[in-house]
Amino acid sequence: MERTKGYPAALDKKLQDTRLYLEDSNPEFTKSVKAISRTNAHMCYQCGTCTGSCPSAPRSTYRIRKFMRRAVLGLENETLIDPDLWLCTTCYSCSDRCPRDIIPTDVIMAMRNLAFKRDIVPVNFLKTVTAIYASGHGVPNNDVNRAAREKIGLSRDPPTTHTYAEYMPGIRKILDHYKLKANADRIIKEREG
Amino acid sequence: MAEKKKTTTKKTETKKPITKKAAPVKQEIKKQAPAAKPAAKPVATGSTTQQKPRVGVFICHCGTNIAGSMDIPTVEAYAKTIPGVAFVDNYQYMCSTPGQGKIEKAIAEHKLTGIVVAACSPRLHEPTFRTATKEGGLNPFRFEMANIREQNSWVHMHDQEGATDKAKDAIRIAVAKAALLLDLFPKKVPVEKAAMVVGAGVAGMQAALDLSAAGIKTYLIEADTSIGGRMSQLDKTFPTLDCSQCILTPKMVDVGREPLIELYTYSEVHEVEGYIGNFDVTIRKKARGVLTPTEATARGLIGGGCNGCGDCDAVCPVIKPNAFEMGMKPRKAIYINHPQVVPLIYTIDFDSCVKCGLCVTACGPEKLAIDLESKDEFIKVKVGTAILATGYELFPIEKKEEWGYKRFENVITGLEFERLICASGPTGGHLVRPSDGQTPKKVAFVLCAGSRDNTGNGKPYCSRFCCMYSLKHAHQIIEKIPGCTPYLFYMDIRSFGKAYEEFYYRIQDEGAKFIRGRVANIIEDPKTKSLHVMTDDTLLDRPVDMEVDMVVLASAVQPSDDTNRTRRLFGVSCSSDGWLLEAHPKLNPCGTTTAGVFLAGVCQGPKDIPDTVASAEGAASAASIPIHKGEVELEPYFASCIDEKCAGCGMCVNLCPYSALALVEKDGRTVMEVTEAKCKGCGTCGGFCPGGAIWMNHFTTPQIVAQIDAFLLGGEQ
Ligand SMILES: Cc1cc2nc3c(=O)[nH]c(=O)nc-3n(C[C@H](O)[C@H](O)[C@H](O)COP(=O)(O)OP(=O)(O)OC[C@H]3O[C@@H](n4cnc5c(N)ncnc54)[C@H](O)[C@@H]3O)c2cc1C
Ligand code: SF4
Ligand code: SF4
Ligand code: SF4
Ligand code: SF4
Repeated sequence: MERTKGYPAALDKKLQDTRLYLEDSNPEFTKSVKAISRTNAHMCYQCGTCTGSCPSAPRSTYRIRKFMRRAVLGLENETLIDPDLWLCTTCYSCSDRCPRDIIPTDVIMAMRNLAFKRDIVPVNFLKTVTAIYASGHGVPNNDVNRAAREKIGLSRDPPTTHTYAEYMPGIRKILDHYKLKANADRIIKEREG
Repeated sequence: MAEKKKTTTKKTETKKPITKKAAPVKQEIKKQAPAAKPAAKPVATGSTTQQKPRVGVFICHCGTNIAGSMDIPTVEAYAKTIPGVAFVDNYQYMCSTPGQGKIEKAIAEHKLTGIVVAACSPRLHEPTFRTATKEGGLNPFRFEMANIREQNSWVHMHDQEGATDKAKDAIRIAVAKAALLLDLFPKKVPVEKAAMVVGAGVAGMQAALDLSAAGIKTYLIEADTSIGGRMSQLDKTFPTLDCSQCILTPKMVDVGREPLIELYTYSEVHEVEGYIGNFDVTIRKKARGVLTPTEATARGLIGGGCNGCGDCDAVCPVIKPNAFEMGMKPRKAIYINHPQVVPLIYTIDFDSCVKCGLCVTACGPEKLAIDLESKDEFIKVKVGTAILATGYELFPIEKKEEWGYKRFENVITGLEFERLICASGPTGGHLVRPSDGQTPKKVAFVLCAGSRDNTGNGKPYCSRFCCMYSLKHAHQIIEKIPGCTPYLFYMDIRSFGKAYEEFYYRIQDEGAKFIRGRVANIIEDPKTKSLHVMTDDTLLDRPVDMEVDMVVLASAVQPSDDTNRTRRLFGVSCSSDGWLLEAHPKLNPCGTTTAGVFLAGVCQGPKDIPDTVASAEGAASAASIPIHKGEVELEPYFASCIDEKCAGCGMCVNLCPYSALALVEKDGRTVMEVTEAKCKGCGTCGGFCPGGAIWMNHFTTPQIVAQIDAFLLGGEQ
């Protein structure tokens, strides 16, 4: 028994029915993605230009083309639970070149929005929210940066909330309005205890 | 009783007037004194002095196309209440034989004076129902169509009540007009026994050969200095791989020899006037600087003229890129495209000639072929019909910056590949890298380069022959360069033609590699000038970075440069992508909406050579029909002048876009006169005339006013 540990489970997984069933498709998902992204998310013809342009694809399992396919077919669940959804760098290279004039980057953004509604979001993204709430920056300035800035003749802090802290209440008001901070705190707590 | 009545009406209404008209019309054209009967009638206009109208209304279901979106019984019941309506019926398919039979029968039985069919569009079935009206014994122009399909049931599919109401309106309006329709008689005009073909690629050549074989004098106009078009630039042709020049040259020679073909190269259409049967075309023969033997003889230089010896070419000091060789070979200011040109006559490119006169000396006193002062000539010809065959050019693929054309030396287009692989091309048929002259070992082919592209920077359509020629290119390098592998980057291989899929099989079997992914971008190695092709192998689901020696872009195609100007001269429309618009994409692909003008080859949309030749033969056949018939009928929609009302101000004369109007003296007064054959019935003059003196046949003021009243007053007069 000990010696076969893991094998039956692995075999079971291999033998799972992986076929696509009509029930897997939710046409409403295609519609929401289209509405939120404001691009023709249903028009992808799977040419591969996006993945071929993507800096993330060569070094990860992230395939923008696969997400486009899921958008077309309305495969809501497998889209939203796929951790790859969070590997887009939002460089917009794919959007520059898509021959169907779709903006795949915005499709990813729309999918992330829908995932967030189900509390699916990686903790590091949530920590970015916390950082913005605290400093107005997703990546706050640090001493290494300050030194570098000084070296090339810039002020130690940029002319942002780092210099004008009086704008912070406004930023917090916006984040609070959308309950972003509260939700981030709640989810981080649930995940990390 | 009814039967008897029917035959008599037929005689008086249709046969008699037409035979009566047919003869005098021809004389009338010569006399330039048209507008006889139809104009005489309407003088007593306004209130119709006709017999009391008895209109028959026929409502078509069009299967469920119409009946599925509206309540036909309600519409029918309503139609019966419209004043002037004597009979109403409905049927599943009015255009069918039984449907048409209903019209014919009802005309006799109910003594109808006008017919309304509520169905599809006049574009589709007006001719059908006019014929039925005529068969029933009425003048065919006593028919009016109410469109309740395209403009109603199809757009209001989900609004049954609204569609029903709209159909009632449409029928009421049509009845108002039908009650006032008058008998009209189409005019017949003779057709000039000559045709014109514009563009002498394989399409234009084939069309001209067919027309001349049918005994028709044909003017073939080619913008370039020689004929053959793109096909003469190709090395081999898919799927049979015969040598393009070998199959094209005999045709080119035939075109040059055929006495019925009058060939104008280095020429363009300058001006077109007239209409089917009688197009007056002005040809601009561009200053060529070199005389043909015929032209030399005409100038009294017997035995002179260019014999193609090329002595001038040898001495000319000006060097320019040869466009035929895609700029990859030099030519002189005095040049021919390639050694097999038809006609074999040199041409001086006056934009680059420095007029040094060296060629004149070299040409010598016997031939005296060169005239450095030659000027454009304008030649007027008359033709009955015309075919446009202006072909295509490549989309400027450098606009898709990600593939680096014109930035990276070893990225070339399919047409450049044809010249490089061709034995008569700039490298004698050796495919080499432009950067270093080395023979490539790995060649990437980028399919759909700029085609199937909706970004606005590219073409939304499939260019239709690039899949196949890329397969051909793959074969050519496997055959010519041992050890060289072609990689075809594709989205779909569209090998739809006869023996095309088999060709795809053969090329894969020969060793070509197919990677299903559209190329995202190409990066050049600055040192080796090799190229990294980046894409996604969509079947493996893996990003690809493939280093190759050379890249061939299967660039999209677009209508040739001068197509737009030329088509405007002939009144032909184009679709939003610039390809010339056929009369009907399925049922009339060679015709246009301008009577007497036809389309052949790629100017109508991308086609390979088999389809191009088939379309050219179709166009030639269609263009020869009016010529063989000898005369054509013109729709009698022309304007007529009501002399009593005309003040002779002449303001309409300049407004007419077809120059159909003139002022003449009649009974001591100056009045306007219409040349009916020129008038297209556009209505510009009729709408303008301040005195209301212009009567637009079939769209008369009383008819239009009645229609507006019927709509606005909801039937109350
Ligand atoms: C790289 C490449 C490879 C190909 N290989 C194949 C193949 O192997 N097999 C195959 O079946 N097809 C092939 N094709 C397609 C083939 O080229 C076309 O089907 C064919 O040339 C179409 O002929 P055409 O006469 O309609 O147009 P064109 O060949 O373009 O001829 C048009 C002619 O009209 C002239 N013209 C243009 N405008 C005017 C004007 N305003 N006034 C007067 N003259 C004018 C032009 O100078 C030209 O001579 C290939 C195409 C490309 C790009
Ligand atoms: S580039 Fe556009 S059309 Fe092509 S696979 Fe990506 S999203 Fe689809
Ligand atoms: S925007 Fe995202 S999906 Fe698109 S290329 Fe960049 S990283 Fe890839
Ligand atoms: S006159 Fe013009 S064409 Fe003749 S040799 Fe001189 S430059 Fe060339
Ligand atoms: S013929 Fe082939 S390569 Fe050309 S546009 Fe169509 S699909 Fe693309």
